[in-house]
Amino acid sequence: MKKFLKHPEPSESDLKGPHYWRSLDELAETDGFKEYLHREFPEGASEFDGVNRRQFMKVMSASFAFAGIGLTGCRRPESHVMAFSKQPEGMIHGKALYYASAMPHRNDPVALVAETNGGRPTKLEGNGLFAGSNGATNQYAQASILDLYDPGRSKKSVESGRTLTEAQRTDHLVAISKKFQENGGAGLAFLAEGIPSVTRTAQLKQLRKKFPKAIWAEYDAIDTSNPDKAAAVVTGKQVRAVYDFTKAKRVLSLEADFLYSDPNHLAYTRDFSKARKVEDDHASMNRLYAAESYYSITGGMADHRLRIASGDIPALASLMCAAILDLNGSMQQASQALKDSAAGLDVDPHWIEECAKDLVEHAGHSLVVAGPHQPQSVHALVIAMNELLQAQGETVSYVSIPENTAASIFDLASSIDAGSVSTLVVLGGNPVYNAPVDLNWADTQDKVGEVIRLGEYFDETSEKSDCHINAAHFLESWGDAIAYDGTVLAIQPMILPLFQGLTESEVLDTIINGALREGYSIVFDALTETLSGDAKAFEKFLHDGFWAGTASRSTSVSVDQGAIATLFEEEQDLVKLTKTSPTNLEVRFIPDPSLDDGRFNNNGWLQECPDPVTKLAWDNAFLVSPKLGESLGVVAGDTLVSVVRKNPNAHKRGKQQGHLIEVTVDGRTLTGPAHVQPGLPDNTIVVSLGYGRTVTGNVGEGSGINAYALRTSAGQSSLTGATVKTVGGIQELADTQEHWSMEGRAIIREANLDFYNKHPDFVDHMGMESHSPPVLGLDENGGNRRDTVPLQELVVNGKKNRGNSAYVTPEFTGAHQWGMSIDLNTCTGCNACVIACQSENNIPVVGREQVKRGREMHWIRLDRYYSAGPDQHPNDIPTNPQVSLQPMTCQHCETAPCESVCPVNATVHDEEGLNVMAYNRCVGTRYCANNCPYKVRRFNFFDWNDREMGRDYEGPLGPKGMDELKKMSKNPDVSVRMRGVMEKCTYCTQRIQEAKIEQKVAARDSGDIKVPDGTIKTACQQVCPAEAIVFGDILDPESAVSKLKASNRDYGVLAYLNTRPRTTYLAKLRNPNPLMPDYYDNPLSHMEYNAASGHAEGHGDSHADAAHATEDSGHSGH
Amino acid sequence: MSTIFSKEANKAPVKIVIALLILGATITAGFTYYMTPKYARVGYQPIQPVSFQHSLHAGELGIDCRYCHSHVEKSGHSNVPATSTCMNCHNQVQVLSEKLQPVRDSFASGESIPWVQVHKLPDYVYFNHSVHVNRGISCFECHGQVNEMDEVRHEKSFSMAFCLECHRNPEEKLRPLDQITNLDWRPESKEAQLEFGNEMKEHWKVQPPTSCSGCHR
Repeated sequence: MKKFLKHPEPSESDLKGPHYWRSLDELAETDGFKEYLHREFPEGASEFDGVNRRQFMKVMSASFAFAGIGLTGCRRPESHVMAFSKQPEGMIHGKALYYASAMPHRNDPVALVAETNGGRPTKLEGNGLFAGSNGATNQYAQASILDLYDPGRSKKSVESGRTLTEAQRTDHLVAISKKFQENGGAGLAFLAEGIPSVTRTAQLKQLRKKFPKAIWAEYDAIDTSNPDKAAAVVTGKQVRAVYDFTKAKRVLSLEADFLYSDPNHLAYTRDFSKARKVEDDHASMNRLYAAESYYSITGGMADHRLRIASGDIPALASLMCAAILDLNGSMQQASQALKDSAAGLDVDPHWIEECAKDLVEHAGHSLVVAGPHQPQSVHALVIAMNELLQAQGETVSYVSIPENTAASIFDLASSIDAGSVSTLVVLGGNPVYNAPVDLNWADTQDKVGEVIRLGEYFDETSEKSDCHINAAHFLESWGDAIAYDGTVLAIQPMILPLFQGLTESEVLDTIINGALREGYSIVFDALTETLSGDAKAFEKFLHDGFWAGTASRSTSVSVDQGAIATLFEEEQDLVKLTKTSPTNLEVRFIPDPSLDDGRFNNNGWLQECPDPVTKLAWDNAFLVSPKLGESLGVVAGDTLVSVVRKNPNAHKRGKQQGHLIEVTVDGRTLTGPAHVQPGLPDNTIVVSLGYGRTVTGNVGEGSGINAYALRTSAGQSSLTGATVKTVGGIQELADTQEHWSMEGRAIIREANLDFYNKHPDFVDHMGMESHSPPVLGLDENGGNRRDTVPLQELVVNGKKNRGNSAYVTPEFTGAHQWGMSIDLNTCTGCNACVIACQSENNIPVVGREQVKRGREMHWIRLDRYYSAGPDQHPNDIPTNPQVSLQPMTCQHCETAPCESVCPVNATVHDEEGLNVMAYNRCVGTRYCANNCPYKVRRFNFFDWNDREMGRDYEGPLGPKGMDELKKMSKNPDVSVRMRGVMEKCTYCTQRIQEAKIEQKVAARDSGDIKVPDGTIKTACQQVCPAEAIVFGDILDPESAVSKLKASNRDYGVLAYLNTRPRTTYLAKLRNPNPLMPDYYDNPLSHMEYNAASGHAEGHGDSHADAAHATEDSGHSGH
Repeated sequence: MSTIFSKEANKAPVKIVIALLILGATITAGFTYYMTPKYARVGYQPIQPVSFQHSLHAGELGIDCRYCHSHVEKSGHSNVPATSTCMNCHNQVQVLSEKLQPVRDSFASGESIPWVQVHKLPDYVYFNHSVHVNRGISCFECHGQVNEMDEVRHEKSFSMAFCLECHRNPEEKLRPLDQITNLDWRPESKEAQLEFGNEMKEHWKVQPPTSCSGCHR
């Protein structure tokens, strides 16, 4: 009896209401959609601007002629092998060397291991030995290596336009030392960034001894000191709260972005993910409540997210604290006072009540955290709440930290205004660009007689200084950094300073001691003395990357209630309700997810890395809520296709059309493009810092708007009283994801935890494959082979597994079969993998104009989807959608659709299941990209590597050749691709080959050639702070990846196409509280799916298991 | 029609065919000679800055390959020795030899000796020495009888076909691990080689990659 596949008859709910994938014909009727469908690439991606084919041929014929001349000399050129004169110890040509180091970054340095090839660092990875971050890194640390090789770096020291030699530079510093020797440093001032280190502490001690009257001030544009300051006030001790998210079952975040931009986010992400990982049925996981004013990564992970103006967080904290007090039945007076202070806050009281109840019920396992930008009062309340929740010793520990005695930039400014500073040394930072606008730092600095600036870039501050000294990159420096938990991390040079830059400690030491000393001795002396260690301990320190046992000790604290009240009194301006309205808008300043405070402005990798939520690259924009956008008239008109969710942002030829708006606060105005961002509070405008630099390199030039122009000392994180109007005009923005809805498709499969516990196999009932015959065929008993046959067997024996498919399956004969599992439940969408991949795989930067055409080259991208639920009309813009993020990269389909269309066999399978690209075979037909259902193939439209960015269109007449510095940054184990070839994720094939070779070399005359599980870590896996990506051999049933793939949450994206992807995903779970007013039965995307596919709520009836579906649907064929 | 075409024209088709054949043969021969590694590479024997004799050192004196190419078992690259390696002996042997002046200069100055590269692979090929010499493939298979060469010569074509020939049939080339650097070792017979090779292939699990990812990254 032959069985035919027939789709189940449409149900009644299918026939009415909007139709989704079942009615593509209907959809295709509309012209706009038809064109969209028929395009191979997004609009504009495969076209020239203003150049037609004829013109193109004219230009190109010239280059063909040149090529002919070149042919005469095609014999091999002579090349030389330059062996060492004396072999350096430990160096083997062709073998990378690894050294521990760290990236200093405010009070949150990142412990690193640098890979050096032939003496040049090429890749940074997390230091797995250091428990603080446990091998995780972030996008900044990954991209910092590009700064080392940035041609736009400051390459020389300059004094009033005159280049200084190294000797002159030293003399200059020595002269300062001599000048202030007599008067004890009166008139000498320093302004540095707040980067705690043992070396700096030791040097400050010396400085204060030698120049007791000198001023030492510290300034960070992103101030993270409030939590520590509040802790000092409330507890009376110099302590810092360090959280343990592994133990926290309930977490409330008051605009904290502890998974992304807050200090210690790497450790917190690791721990949070551990508490969120679900491994079995009837599982439990943590629950996250988040209240925030912008859509942060942390907010995206939240189970309950509350949109609230940033300035109203103090009131929310007060109410939350009052609710907890009430539940504890203690201190009614205090509770009433808190309620009074927050009276009038427009938040559903049930939200607060139920959230508080949940926290109290889990006392000892619950935790409240607040964003470091929030006023000290909020942090004081957070400490109090955590005390009430008995968190101390469980989810919170308080560790002793040294008191920071540095003056602030405001103290320094008043000293300057008083005329008591004659020489100012600015060590790093960029105050002229990022100091609060009311400080008017450029003019303040001008008042000082002599300003000396140490900087990695010649920037705004250097321009306003008398003398600019070029600084060494941290990969060229000796130093140390104190991690958030107090551990001392080593910073050691991987390469000699490329441009003879100086480090901060060298400059300081020269000024203090009057002679230039090597960085090594300064650091060695400071560390061995402070930590009372010897040379051997120092060696170990350099080897491990950290000094064991230096983590701060935890201490017990108690809360002083009076202090909290006093704080509230002092900060009454900051904690009062914002009462925002369309005429009293709040402007929220956030550190940019890519550029931080602007320090990475000239970093191409970060500039091109799309913002995790807005997906904008190369520029920032005013993010406005849909409501505000509508009132401003900046949202897009209705879509051509009314059944496709409306995108609030207009696009033209794939380029986002940002309407220019003008934001005015206290008479200061800033004009920039608006981007409608669902999920914001109605009257808050969010703008990220770090763009709009005036003096920067050619990469950062002309990118974005400078939000510092609005920011004052009183409102460093947010300001109220803003007004906005449109000024006419459009700025095109480069966004990498034009559409934002899954349209009810089962691309990301989500469910609530409770639903999952009841329906552990829910992923199998989502998506087309729940209706189609099993892609892996049926077993002898008619069961789905996917469920009954072990994965290891399914991988090999291709033919049998194909459910009678006509295609020939590759035979996988290799000793390993590679596969990957990505856990969507823990992936935060932080973009670290994007940059890690770029660094590892020599992925070029294409520039703003090319991103606008959809030609970005990232091998891994984070797809961001909003879901608003089935009740939302497609033409309405959701105000408060849920966000789901999904890393998408080559899925290494076993039956890859790209391979069958390649006319030259440039993409084929290898015996271990990799879908490989042979660049040299590729002729650039782009058929493969066209046929790839995941759209993960990237085409080199231009010679990105060999041409200057932005000059791609000059053809043979343009300058050619890679900058020498740029060449140094390339990974020698990966081919640098040329124009006209396709590329994509290779599963880091170079790492696989390297590991296999090492294993074989070790095996010698034995047959032990299986690479042990865990040896190979792909770049994205290594960097992932959430440990969401696992790679390994799926032939080994004991490997981590095999175990994950055996999970009932495992599914393949678009698996019904019978692509049999080797990369599979673990479904995302949400854990909302049923008692909360914003409870949802299932994630909104799940509901959209059900609505779109005509499944009744409660689900499961329309299709039993997949095998069943075949039986059912086969009826008509009998 | 005879007014237009003379009788001679009857031979034209034959002539055209012959001409085309000759043209084809010339192009093929030219292409083969000038463009294929087998001819373009083999025999390349540049003049080195120091006339180092492999035949003397590796041949007559019997110095093992790995004395100088010391990292060949550990790294993908087989290193050209540092000047300091030469000086291990030549600070006592032939100390006054004029031919060795560049070596002494390099050692004194710290500058490299600009050895001319003989064997070169395209940038997109990632060949690894260590995995070959540790798994039964001798230097001889690719580099030939270096211990009899005065100046090193490019002996094999290094084309992809050359690599694949062995990757598809490794049993023909596998040899005992203690004979890897013995360039004079020969199997007793072809049968003996195949017997040994097949046994080792099985026992060592020799599975040379034959797909792109093996060498191209």
